[in-house]
Amino acid sequence: MSEYLSILIFILIGTGIVLFTFLLSRLIRPHNPYHAKNLNYECAEEPVGNSWFQFNNRFYIFALIFVIFDVEVIFLFPWAVAFGQLGLFALVEMVIFILILFFGIFYAWKKGALKWV
Amino acid sequence: MFYYLALAAMLFSIGLFGVLTRRNTIGILMSLELMFNAANINFVAFNKFIVTDGLTGQIFAMFIIAVAAAEAALGLAIVLLIYRNWRGIDTEHYNVMKW
Amino acid sequence: MDFPFPEYNLQYMLPEIFLFVWALVVISFDLLSKRNNGSTTGYLTLFGIAIAGLLLGLVGNGKGFGKMFINDNVAVFFKVIFLGAAFMAVGSSFGVMQKKIVNHRGEFYALLLMSTTGMMFLSSSQELLSIYLGLELTTIPLFAMAAFYKDDKLSVESGIKYFIIGAFSSALMVYGMSFLYGLTGSTDLAQMKVAFFKTHLQFGDMGIVMILALIMLAAGIGFKLALPPFHQWAPDVYEGAPTPVAAFLSVGSKGAGLIAFAKIFVDGLYAYHSPDMAPNDWGMLIGILAIAAMVLGNVLAIRQTNIKRMLAYSSIAQAGYIMIGMVALSASGIASVGFYLFIYLFANMGAFAAVAVFEDMTGSCQIKSYAGLARTSPFFSAVMAVFLLSLAGIPPLAGFLAKYYVFASVVDVAQRSADSSWMYWMVGIGLLTTVFALFYYANVIKVMFFSPETSPYKVEAPLPAKAVLAIGVIGVLLFGLYPEPILQFATGISSSLHFMP
Repeated sequence: MSEYLSILIFILIGTGIVLFTFLLSRLIRPHNPYHAKNLNYECAEEPVGNSWFQFNNRFYIFALIFVIFDVEVIFLFPWAVAFGQLGLFALVEMVIFILILFFGIFYAWKKGALKWV
Repeated sequence: MFYYLALAAMLFSIGLFGVLTRRNTIGILMSLELMFNAANINFVAFNKFIVTDGLTGQIFAMFIIAVAAAEAALGLAIVLLIYRNWRGIDTEHYNVMKW
Repeated sequence: MDFPFPEYNLQYMLPEIFLFVWALVVISFDLLSKRNNGSTTGYLTLFGIAIAGLLLGLVGNGKGFGKMFINDNVAVFFKVIFLGAAFMAVGSSFGVMQKKIVNHRGEFYALLLMSTTGMMFLSSSQELLSIYLGLELTTIPLFAMAAFYKDDKLSVESGIKYFIIGAFSSALMVYGMSFLYGLTGSTDLAQMKVAFFKTHLQFGDMGIVMILALIMLAAGIGFKLALPPFHQWAPDVYEGAPTPVAAFLSVGSKGAGLIAFAKIFVDGLYAYHSPDMAPNDWGMLIGILAIAAMVLGNVLAIRQTNIKRMLAYSSIAQAGYIMIGMVALSASGIASVGFYLFIYLFANMGAFAAVAVFEDMTGSCQIKSYAGLARTSPFFSAVMAVFLLSLAGIPPLAGFLAKYYVFASVVDVAQRSADSSWMYWMVGIGLLTTVFALFYYANVIKVMFFSPETSPYKVEAPLPAKAVLAIGVIGVLLFGLYPEPILQFATGISSSLHFMP
């Protein structure tokens, strides 16, 4: 129980510090809003249009390819954890698995799915 | 144990409801993911509390995650096709065939 | 054969491994070769399927990967069917390739091969995890193949419908599986059986959860089998998808659902019954589904004007006939199911191949555009008529024998067990629906042969499609007159499943 108590104290102190600094800066900073200040920050340029617009389709293709390869890595984790006991067979299997993944990315590349058309 | 199962059941019901009522295809996909994740929680919870020997439940959950990702990717690809064909992804668009 | 890592017995998996590698070979070949390489990719695929069949014959029965992978009689029988379905689907796809999918041949064939691999894994699995993976590997490529005409709205629509239904059903199934795992403590079907015998899960405490899990599993597999009330996707998908894909779906996906059903419900769970529920009641539940499928499929097929939709409803009805064999839950019942599926492979793939040939020529799937075809291409019309009559179950053809064995197996069980009047009712309804079925099959034949006008088309099939049609006709005629080899093959599968005394 005592460990949890210390965690609680940490949480309280952490929140307290953040709240305190915000409050302090609110009290001592000058208050002078004007139009350019209220805009979204876009590298100091005047932003064009609304930020709620439809993204280009092409982003989704990249996102799709990313999702596939991203999630397949999940199988690497248990393999890495148990690697010591598994021996050669698991290594060969994992190499084959990764080769197949490589084939996938190679195929997407060759087919031009990674090109920004 | 009960809480895990209850959480899974809630997720599953939300997903089921979403699949059946959503108009937006992306919404349907998201609801499907909820349903898969409900099964995941079940598997892991059973593995932790009831079937304590072996890791079958956790491995099963991992496979579900991977397969669901593949499924979602394919679904999104088909959604892209829908967008290309109809300029919108609501379910009313693609209801040409009946009976 | 000498294999590395003998403890895993990888050689029993050789056909599947080969098929998967071949899919990669096909896709790379198409990628690296010139834009339009004629039909080489297709022939390469056919060659690969033939080799896989050969390997399947060589490896023999045995277990690999612990208990995860079993090559027994059931598995081999279904693998033969799946390879046959893949072969005939590829054979009937050449025309489509030439016209519509010129730049994506490799992907199409690779997806088809991967789906076949999934089906073959499924038929070898003895365990919930591998059943799930097999089903997913079967269906995920099929989603993509259904939506393969990227600019055809019907095809994309069928793709998304199939996708949503398919993913939904597997979510249901996997949720049900999680409860089975929790209740029995294992994902292995054999160990689940042991758990059932030991604990006798009953209504009341945990039994209700069990029932819920079983309903979800049944719904999930019912979707794949397109059994009513889970059938609505089938006609839309069959109509919109490319015709070879629809053909592959009708036999392959159905077979996959069937083997999963047999493994989980007939083999794995037959020991599960509560005091209120005799083992016989399993049969009754399946029987109700079967009756619904037969009636609904056959009645709705009558009003269709699109031949692919008609075949879709007919395939729903055929699934009903197949499930009747399951009702018996006996060795002869399972054998008749196997026989039915084998004959169905020839007749249905043949019919779809004929439709594909006609569609490639005319671009139409309407029944009325078949009018007067017998005058210009009598041979083609006769072939089509043979397939349709076999599906309807007219005596000299194999379809009749298939239906006969299915019904006979149920009558046989009904005679031996008490309180089985509902089985006779079911057989009666089944026979009645075949009359409806005859009506719509004969309608197509009537349009082709007895229409006053002469058709403007003269059918010319590419060589592989001709071969597929020939295989179909020979299968239907030969096994109608001489069914013994298939019957023996099919009887073998019952030795690998376990049944009630």
